[in-house]
Formats: sequence, structure tokens, C-alpha cells
Amino acid sequence: MAGVLVFVELAGSEPRGVALETLGAAAHVAGALGEVTALVIGHECHAVAERIGQYGPSRVLVVDDPAFAAPVAGPYARALEAAVAATEPALVLLPATTLGRDIAPIVATRLGAPHLVECMSLTVEDQTITATRPVYQGKLLTTVTAPRDTVVFATVRAGAFKAPTPDEAKQATIERMTVTLDAADQRAAVTGLAPKGRGGTALESAPIVVVGGRGIGGPQGFALLEELAAALGGAVGCTRAVSDLGWRPHDEQIGQTGKQVSPKLYLGVGVSGAVQHTVGMRGAEVVVAINRDPNAPLVQMADFAIVADYNEIVPRLTKRLQELREAAGKA
Amino acid sequence: MRIAVLVKPVPDPSALRFDPRHGDLVPGVQLVVNEYDLYAVEAALRLREQVGGDVIVGTVGGGARDALSRCLAMGADRAVWIDGEGLPGDSLTTATVVAAWLRQEEPDVIWAGQETSDAGTGNVAPHVATLLGWPLVSNVVGWQYQDGQFTLEREIEDGHQFQTVAPPVVLCALSALDTPRLPTLRGIMEARRKPLEQRTLTTLGLDPAALSPRVQWGKLFEQERRASGIVLQDVDPDEAVERFIAFLRERRLLAW
Repeated sequence: MAGVLVFVELAGSEPRGVALETLGAAAHVAGALGEVTALVIGHECHAVAERIGQYGPSRVLVVDDPAFAAPVAGPYARALEAAVAATEPALVLLPATTLGRDIAPIVATRLGAPHLVECMSLTVEDQTITATRPVYQGKLLTTVTAPRDTVVFATVRAGAFKAPTPDEAKQATIERMTVTLDAADQRAAVTGLAPKGRGGTALESAPIVVVGGRGIGGPQGFALLEELAAALGGAVGCTRAVSDLGWRPHDEQIGQTGKQVSPKLYLGVGVSGAVQHTVGMRGAEVVVAINRDPNAPLVQMADFAIVADYNEIVPRLTKRLQELREAAGKA
Repeated sequence: MRIAVLVKPVPDPSALRFDPRHGDLVPGVQLVVNEYDLYAVEAALRLREQVGGDVIVGTVGGGARDALSRCLAMGADRAVWIDGEGLPGDSLTTATVVAAWLRQEEPDVIWAGQETSDAGTGNVAPHVATLLGWPLVSNVVGWQYQDGQFTLEREIEDGHQFQTVAPPVVLCALSALDTPRLPTLRGIMEARRKPLEQRTLTTLGLDPAALSPRVQWGKLFEQERRASGIVLQDVDPDEAVERFIAFLRERRLLAW
């Protein structure tokens, strides 16, 4: 067992951003573990495989077959297992996406191997691999350690590692790999995809985004946020918990399974800041949090935080902004 | 149809306090049923209401009585507590124990919450599915069961994906599913008469010595605070607002 196998997940015909960051994580441990092999799974994905070769792997394995046109756990897990058998790596890295977090534990189970989840750092020792990861919904961190007596699986948290700078001069060996699927791998079949709504709200392009989380307490509270957003000249977004609860429409959701925003100002109100949400706003230039809980991860990462009940702050803030705007208009 | 639901009691996420000296939570936080698991229970109950059968909830480890009683009061038929005394807490060990129990129950469908609010690995359901050789459908936000087949709606990075699968299958619930019902008074009374069964590793045919952990967990610690961050706490609201507006001006975030 030597080397690192990286599953470079695609989004359509492009590698996902976090998948490129996973190649960055691989570069970080390659010195200790050996050469990096990328695994690309999809349909008609040969061109993207060549481009992935510019991000540092010495080898790119390509599984290119109509059976892999849609991301689905059964077939993808079988392809990953075949690539592990072919490369016998010491470490398998996957992006901590919905697919990565499905297939890593599936293949790990078959091999009796450990799976370190949502890794923010990776440290390789002679006998072990240790990772830092968030627990308690991102409120705290811990370390998890796996012995190196088998292959180790690790899913890499978005934003934790930098994607390598592509180098056009780099040429990786591209190898096609065929994977035989059995009926059991294909029991769950993908029948369709309703793509995320684009446009609609101006959320993705808004310079200021006011985001409400579960701490808002119900749909009524969002009226205060809409007024604040209007006073600031921004748009309203929400967390997955909020759209799941039906307090706001799904197309306002920001995060891993929602929209990605990178505004000049992100103002999170009653947002705890779980990683599934923060991966959608980490491009924000200035982060502000209003939250009752001083230990909320968003308070910890904010440039400016007010620890208070938002009902005490938001109406006052909106009123003051309206007054200032009016005064400026008259001047 | 026999429907099993995997549940876990977790420290109440809204009442957590961290003790930095011991690198652990301040003890004594009340345990509640993990939130996604309640959505899984609700889905299981609705499936039973549609097709008949029974709903069995199961958990491994301590502090489970209240959690299982709540699930029974919601309407589950039976509850099983697996004594995990001395077991390492890693997810593959937990899944091995759960899979041994499920082989005895022979369910058609297993519902679980997508992940727990404590360790949150999301590993147990995929491990269990794989140990049983069943397909896994995660991140479920909608489902229908018709003509012996599930149509599932999943929330993934690119949108909502639809899958079809026939039982047996492991399904992982997100909180966009139907809101978990609150136990009624009648439900609570009936729950007292329902069986809350106990299993041990021995009754499941497992050898505790053979269950060695694959992952060791360290102590808890806090993320380093962003050095430049300003935090206003216990500040008069009017003053907090003025200081915030001054901050916005300084960062040139106000157009006027």
C-alpha cells in the first residue's frame, strides 16, 4: 500500500471545486504517502480527465460509461472499489459531497477500512493518519485517528485545502478502466434531475445578502429580514433548515445543496453556521453575525458579531439605516 | 411490511456547553432524539399507515429509554435497545452491531436520519446498508411507495435527483420530509404498554473482543476565533446598532 487515490467528482463536464481542493489535500500528503492517482467517473469525460492531469496527479484513471452518466451510490461505489483494487493506495481521498459521503463508507465497509469524515487537516504518521474534523454541527472540533494497517478513506471538507494551480506543462498518464457492475449495484436507478433554480432571486449576484437561519423562529420573522435587506440594498437568503421547514422557498437556500454566494457583505441572522451552509458563503468578503449563541460557529468566524436576540437588533438597525438613507437623500 | 428505524439519543443541540479544561461537553445535558431520526420515524409511520405492517425502532448505547419511549408514543410498534456497554464508539462497530440485530428482525425497509447532531459522521446507515448488501438512498426529501417500488426525491449539489428502488433498501431522511408528529396523550399511555426490548452482544451472536475500533476519537476543542473579529456581547442594543453602522461605514459597505 502506497500512494494516494483521489476521487475527482465531476459536476457535468467540469471537476467540482471541492474535488480540486481534494487534489490539493493529496498534494499535501503525497510526500509521506507517495504518488497521486486521480479517479474520474462519468460518461464522455475523457476531455476533463486530461485537464485534471494539470492539477498534479501522475496518473488519471478514467471510468467512462453510460452507466455512470448520473451520480448514484451503487455503481460509483463499485468503480471506486475497482480503482482501489487496481492502485492499492495507502489513502483514498474524496470530496465531502453527498456522493463522496455515500461511497466512501460503502467501500470502506467492504474493505473493513476506516473512514475519516469531513477532514479539515490531515497528518500522516508512520502508523496512523489523523484528521481534524467538525462535530456538534460545527460548534466544536475533534481529532480522529485511523491505523494504517489497511487503506484509509477520508472525505475532505470544502474550503479546508487550496486547489493546486493548474500547470499546462504537466502531463499525467491517462488510463481507461472498465468496471463490471452487477445487478445489486444498479438496484437504485436515477430517473431524473430537477436542476437548481437559477435566477429568480438576485441572490447570487447581490452585493449584500441577509440570511436567516433557524434562530429566526418561524416564517413571520423573515419580514424583519426583508425590511433590513431592503434598507441595505441586498437580497434575502436562508439556510437549508429554514427551506426544509417551509419557512422560505428552496431557491433562497444557500449552502452545499443550495446556492453559492460571494457578496461584499454577508449578514447571518440566527444562523449557527454549520459547514453545509458555510460552504455556500465562504466567498463573502465581510461576514457579520447576529446570534444569541456566542459559541455559534458563524459568530466565531465573523468579522463583526452581535450576540443578542435579533428582535432587539434588527428593527433598530433597519430604522437607523432608513433614517440615514433619508438624511443622505436630502443632503 | 416491516419497517425498521435507526435512532440515536444525542445531547440537546440547543443546550450544549463546552468544558475546555476537560476537552468535553459539560456533563448533564439532556438527551433528545436526533432530529433527522424523528423525520425517519415519521416517514416509517406514514409508510405503515399506507401499506400496513409494523415499525420497529432500535438504538445502540446508553440513555435510550426516553428516546425510545418517545418513538413508541409517536406510534412505533416496538422498540429495541442494544446494550453497547464497553463498545468502542466508532461507526463501523456500531453498524456491525446494528446489522446483527437487523438480520434477526428481517425488515423490508430501514429508515435512518441522514446524520446525527453529535458526531455527525453519517457513516452508520451506509455501513449498515453495505453489511446487509442493500442499496442506500441518502438525503431523501420526498418519497412515494407504489406498486412495490419507491420513488425517492433527494437533495444533492446539482438540484433534486429522483431515484426508483424496490425494497429492501436503506433510506436516509432529511428534515424536508413530513414534520414529525408530536406524541398524543393517548400515544403516551399506549407506549407504556408497548414492548421495550433489550438485546446484548451475546444475544446478537457477536463477540465483543472481535469488535475493535477502526477510528479513535480525540478530545473536543474549539476553533480558533478569527483574530480580527469584533464580538459585541451584553451591549445595549442601540449602542450595538451604532457600532455596527460605524463598522459598515469603515468597510465602505453603505452606499451613502
